[in-house]
Amino acid sequence: MEEDRNLRSSSSSSSSLQPRSFAHAKLIAIALVPFVVLAAMIAFIFGPGQQFLGIGTPLPEITIERVEFQEDGIIVAFIRNTGPIDVTVGQADVNDRIQQAAIEPGRELPRFAEAKVIIPFPWNEGEPYEIGVTSSDGTRFSKSIDAAAPAASPDVEQAAVFALIGTYVGIIPVLAGLLWLPFIKRLSLGKYRFFLSLTAGLLVFLGIDAIVEANGIAAVSVAGVFNGQILIVLVTILSFLALMYASSKLGERSKGGTSGETHELPSYDSTHSGHAKTLDQQHHQQQLVVKPVAIALMISIGIGLHNFGEGLAIGASVVLGEIALSSFLIVGFMIHNTTEGFAIVSPLAKARVRRMLSKMIIMGLIAGVPTIFGTWIGGFVYSPIAAIIFLSIGAGAIFQVVFLIYRGMAQEEVDRGKIMSNASVIAGFAVGMLIMYVTGLIIPS
Amino acid sequence: MTTVKVIVAVAIVAAVLSTAFAVSGQSFVGLLAIAQDSELKKNTIGGHTAGYGLYDTSGDVLDPANSYSTASKEVVIDPDKYLRAFDYGRVSTLADGTTLREFTLVADDRQVMEISPGVFYNVWTFNGTIPGPTLRATEGDLIKINFINNGSKPHSIHTHGIHKSEMDGVFETINPQGKFTYEFYAEAFGVYPYHCHVTPLEEHISHGLYGVYIVDPKSPRPQADEMVMIMNGFDTDFDTENNFYAVNTIPYYYMHHPIEIEQGKLIRVYLVNMLEFDQINNFHLHGNLYQLYRSGTNVAPDEYTDMVTMSQGERAILEFNYKYPGQYMFHAHKTEFAEKGWVGMFLVKDPAETRSDGGSGSSSSSNSFPQTTTISGDVGR
Repeated sequence: MEEDRNLRSSSSSSSSLQPRSFAHAKLIAIALVPFVVLAAMIAFIFGPGQQFLGIGTPLPEITIERVEFQEDGIIVAFIRNTGPIDVTVGQADVNDRIQQAAIEPGRELPRFAEAKVIIPFPWNEGEPYEIGVTSSDGTRFSKSIDAAAPAASPDVEQAAVFALIGTYVGIIPVLAGLLWLPFIKRLSLGKYRFFLSLTAGLLVFLGIDAIVEANGIAAVSVAGVFNGQILIVLVTILSFLALMYASSKLGERSKGGTSGETHELPSYDSTHSGHAKTLDQQHHQQQLVVKPVAIALMISIGIGLHNFGEGLAIGASVVLGEIALSSFLIVGFMIHNTTEGFAIVSPLAKARVRRMLSKMIIMGLIAGVPTIFGTWIGGFVYSPIAAIIFLSIGAGAIFQVVFLIYRGMAQEEVDRGKIMSNASVIAGFAVGMLIMYVTGLIIPS
Repeated sequence: MTTVKVIVAVAIVAAVLSTAFAVSGQSFVGLLAIAQDSELKKNTIGGHTAGYGLYDTSGDVLDPANSYSTASKEVVIDPDKYLRAFDYGRVSTLADGTTLREFTLVADDRQVMEISPGVFYNVWTFNGTIPGPTLRATEGDLIKINFINNGSKPHSIHTHGIHKSEMDGVFETINPQGKFTYEFYAEAFGVYPYHCHVTPLEEHISHGLYGVYIVDPKSPRPQADEMVMIMNGFDTDFDTENNFYAVNTIPYYYMHHPIEIEQGKLIRVYLVNMLEFDQINNFHLHGNLYQLYRSGTNVAPDEYTDMVTMSQGERAILEFNYKYPGQYMFHAHKTEFAEKGWVGMFLVKDPAETRSDGGSGSSSSSNSFPQTTTISGDVGR
């Protein structure tokens, strides 16, 4: 603080005759110079420069983001102007045959504006359709639907069905996976490391899976202007960094606010011998209790975000008619997601945690319940952009947890570089990813 | 323990916020929509046939089939006027007694006009319309067409029929701002297309440089209510597939503006197929059959039918009269074309009733789709 003050006074001493506010204004003025130049350039380009810079013809672009098939013989297409210019919609069609339609709020779409095209049409369930709109310059934009399925109406009944699906694929498997706790508790340190690393493998698979899925959505349903793929990378990195920061703050807190070098300890109770029950030791104990819970909690939040994305995909698929939600699919998700419960409990296994059961249940719910919210949002108000963001946040969270797990293990090793060459760690990681891959095969895509 | 509580609280808040975020994208747009809807105009769409939903909208209606809401000033043709308009040219008699008919055709390729409700296209036109004017002469007349190219690309006029090589419109392409006079005798009698023959030919024809040319036999055909129908279409997105089909350019036009004809009166349709990109096109008449004169080059009919199928450039004369009054469709029996606009309606009127109306009757401005009666129950038995 003292040093800071010195620094400030020295910098202002040269201009001590001027009032401080004037110096500020000057600084802001200097910062604005490039903007002024830029503004002048823009004015030039839109003004006199337009005649020789007006290269090429801007083409209209309309993206059909979503198509809903309603029970009473109505098809609704949600369209957005994703091109560089305003567009006017001329006509609408079903399977390239012109149909009577209404467009709300109106046929004129400014850039990025959204509109709803309502087409009365006696559609048949399970049949493929191509819905098209033609802009006033005669360009047709279309979207294909593999199989028409009645739109989920946001009523209690439909919400309950989605909640049931979410419970089956999200909550029950995760809670079931938590029951591996007693098993992990009885493992020796070497075997425990294997399973902890296996957890990391499971998580890395989930993270990659989330990114791949987000990429699929970005490629199919998001218009180019939104840069969906860049958004995935961006959000994943930001999510990772934000959680890194949060976890280091968490580490500091658990040490009673001392902001020295964070000495993060492994997530299982060490067999360190010869320590007296000093205050420091008690402190140490407390940290050992909190830290594994924190990691488990972060895992469950990461998995929760992932499951939210999974729920979005399930809800949207039902509505978009992309999958028939067969019992086989549900079973596939159940087996796949049971491993997520394992991932949550493994850091807790060697820690002494009070009220373990209630904490575990809370974490299981944090990981599982978002599936239900996901199915609701995916089914009732699907937005591809939101889906991408959630999946990417989940991926970042998952990678951050993996990072924490390995850092924890590495700090336990006397020789820190050794951890990644440990056979059981590598085997665990590989087996974890393979388990995910194999159980993933059950899910028909 | 407080740490855990804080984390749980943070997680819950994060979940709520993220949910709110996901919903907000939708609801924000929704709010805008509500704000714009406050004018409360209401239109109803659908429901004209069983199975089609009924929907009240505060937005705009896109309905080229049942209404005609476009600004007529920007439309490339008035199909009502075109239907029965024949250009006989400026007539004079030569020293040897031959009738001379002089026509002027001006080509342009720079306009963007409406070719289907709400859809605008770079139209290439003769005398500003698609199709160009219907040229009509009698066999043996001398025809002079003063052609002016007012466009930005070379154009020409290629007329089907019998004429000299240099009048064929193939070897002399007329450059922008150029002029040329085509001169030939009208032979043989029949119905023909005329069109630009400059390459790329497909482009010049599909943009609209065509029209109908009729040569009457020296002893005229019987008196009839005569009309011209040119079957055409437009590929507005340049994928070599037509987006719109019609007779006389505007899709569905004669559905909301049915062609009024008199019961029992002889109707003669000069039908020409100028459809680009598709190999075939056809004409099917409801509730009736017609005498078909292929190419119109014979006075005796070739066939008595309700269906004629034509490739590009083919044409025929159709003659029929209606036995019963009412509304009768005519359309391509290639259903795809019909559902992209090539469909129309004859409104057959009982002449006695028309007279008793005092002539003022509910004439051509009928904008509504004909009433469809849905029959339920086991009527079929």
